[in-house]
Amino acid sequence: MQVRFKIFRQTEGSPPRLQTYDLDVEPGTTILDCLNRIKWEQDGTLAFRKNCRNTICGSCSMRINGRSALACKENVGSELARLQRLHSSAAAQTTDALPTITIAPMGNMPVIKDLVVDMASFWEHLEAVDPYVSTGARQVPEREFLQSPEERDRLNQTGNCILCGACYSECNAREVNPDFVGPHALAKAYRMVADSRDATTTERLEKYGEGTQGVWGCTRCYYCNSVCPMEVAPLDQITKIKQELLERQDDQQSRAVRHRKVLVELVKEGGWIDERKFGLRVVSNHLRDLRGLVSLGPLGLRMLAKGKFPLSFEPSEAVEEVRSLIEAVQQLEAEAGRIEATKVQESPVPVGG
Amino acid sequence: MTLKYAYFPGCVAQGACRELYMSTGALTSALGIELVELKKGSCCGSGTFKEDSQFLEDSVNARNIALAEELNLPLLTHCSTCQGVIGHVDERLKEAKENNPDYLAQVNGILQQEGCSPYRGTSEVKHLLWALVGDYGLEALREKVTRPLSGLKCAAFYGCYLLRTQEHLPFDDPYNPQSIENVFQAVGATPVYYRGRTQCCGWPLSSYATEQSFQLAGGHLEEAIAAGADCLVTPCPLCHLQLDSRQPEVANMTGKKLGLPVLHLPQLVALALGIAPKELGLEKHIVSTKPVLAKLGL
Repeated sequence: MQVRFKIFRQTEGSPPRLQTYDLDVEPGTTILDCLNRIKWEQDGTLAFRKNCRNTICGSCSMRINGRSALACKENVGSELARLQRLHSSAAAQTTDALPTITIAPMGNMPVIKDLVVDMASFWEHLEAVDPYVSTGARQVPEREFLQSPEERDRLNQTGNCILCGACYSECNAREVNPDFVGPHALAKAYRMVADSRDATTTERLEKYGEGTQGVWGCTRCYYCNSVCPMEVAPLDQITKIKQELLERQDDQQSRAVRHRKVLVELVKEGGWIDERKFGLRVVSNHLRDLRGLVSLGPLGLRMLAKGKFPLSFEPSEAVEEVRSLIEAVQQLEAEAGRIEATKVQESPVPVGG
Repeated sequence: MTLKYAYFPGCVAQGACRELYMSTGALTSALGIELVELKKGSCCGSGTFKEDSQFLEDSVNARNIALAEELNLPLLTHCSTCQGVIGHVDERLKEAKENNPDYLAQVNGILQQEGCSPYRGTSEVKHLLWALVGDYGLEALREKVTRPLSGLKCAAFYGCYLLRTQEHLPFDDPYNPQSIENVFQAVGATPVYYRGRTQCCGWPLSSYATEQSFQLAGGHLEEAIAAGADCLVTPCPLCHLQLDSRQPEVANMTGKKLGLPVLHLPQLVALALGIAPKELGLEKHIVSTKPVLAKLGL
């Protein structure tokens, strides 16, 4: 079948341009094989990263039809099917043009050439979470480092990360916060927290919960979970670090922690959230933070002026039942430990490298 | 057949966005859609319960879903965040029913202990947008339009939870959704496309990383204005709080002139059905909606 590729071409520091290449390919051809054919048969100047061709090395991540993915994992047929679904629902469509696949470089990183981006910040951010199991608890040569198969199984999901950069490329928080270490680094951070051999869990948690470079910088856009080609679910790993932090810290630790604690508190009080109290308790810290209180002023006044400010609050008709349920969950988990929703993957998936 | 739903209003529509509650009511009654409000419902946790404990998020929302199941109705929400959170819980518990019955038994165990109905996995969790597109139908909606919104350029703002929390979406591609734009066309408005329509509004960061949060919001608003939008339209009241209520602060921080009206999805559709702006609370917005009404000759 005839397929048109629209590829973003760019050299460092200059604006991008779109270049079009047509290919005759089978639907099962991977996007990477298409790019190889373009480079070998039509235009040797097209630059992209590649290596294993088999979803192991993580080199060929790029934006394919609007989201970051591995070129070696996606194929022409599935991409066109996806586009067809979109176009059949859109009113405007051009029927005579060739089916078109658009390819762009990853986001959140500067372009070096065409589809090759400078991943320096990606690697620096990974390094920032200290992604190595500490050796502090190791007693060599008395005994080797023992780990049960169950303990090892807790690391399988995060261990599947191939550091391709797809999550980092789409991360909305990273876009406005260059210090945010990103989903790949925080997934690795959880891998370290969950490792039974690591002796620095407390220090790690403190570090990962600091400011907005760590887990509290995440804005929960869900892009990382959605695009990860290895089902590492980085946002879920960020959430697990937050769970560890919320278990250890009280609401005076930071406004981010208070935000979480107050929300649960308010649902216990009203079933629904009384938004007036939310602002007062979180931002003004129960009226203790005067600057916080003052910062709420303009918003409150504007809302009052427009008749938008909620002057009353109606609790849920079942507020006692909701409160009792939340307390029962909290009590059960305090006694029996955290109740896991997903079974730990039992058979480790071999990872290359 | 009359469409009927168990209506989960959520916190914001009962608080700082009562105009959403008003307009959902006005729209559904004009379309003959029946809503049974879940007065015993509770906050879904807006993604925050889970940061405390997954079991907490699942138990509280299993209870919310069970309230709809008791009525033998699909659960309907007009909030992207509520839909994403409760819909994701529903997806997870339906899967647990097949593959991890022990976990579901734990959830139902605590519900039973607390005198709540058990979760059965017999309902669905729908956004009003999905009910309009999938159940009511765009053709039927088009027939109800008495005041086509001709010439009004609308930019959708979907909300992350509606697009990316669940593995299976009924229509939309999470990176290039079309359902809101299809609604725009059904009511005679013109869709405007811009990059930010599938991105995060910044709300989750607003209480403690305000500058980053406002940068996200500001970027999307500027892009939509540059693309020629007369207004943003969102199916998420949390996005609305961020993009409308805080827009003056966002403009202050970024130093850019904004002033882009942000409508709730049911407000826009209801305008096309000839419902009066006053019934839709359009005067309750922080950014004036008058330019939109003026463009429609109202």
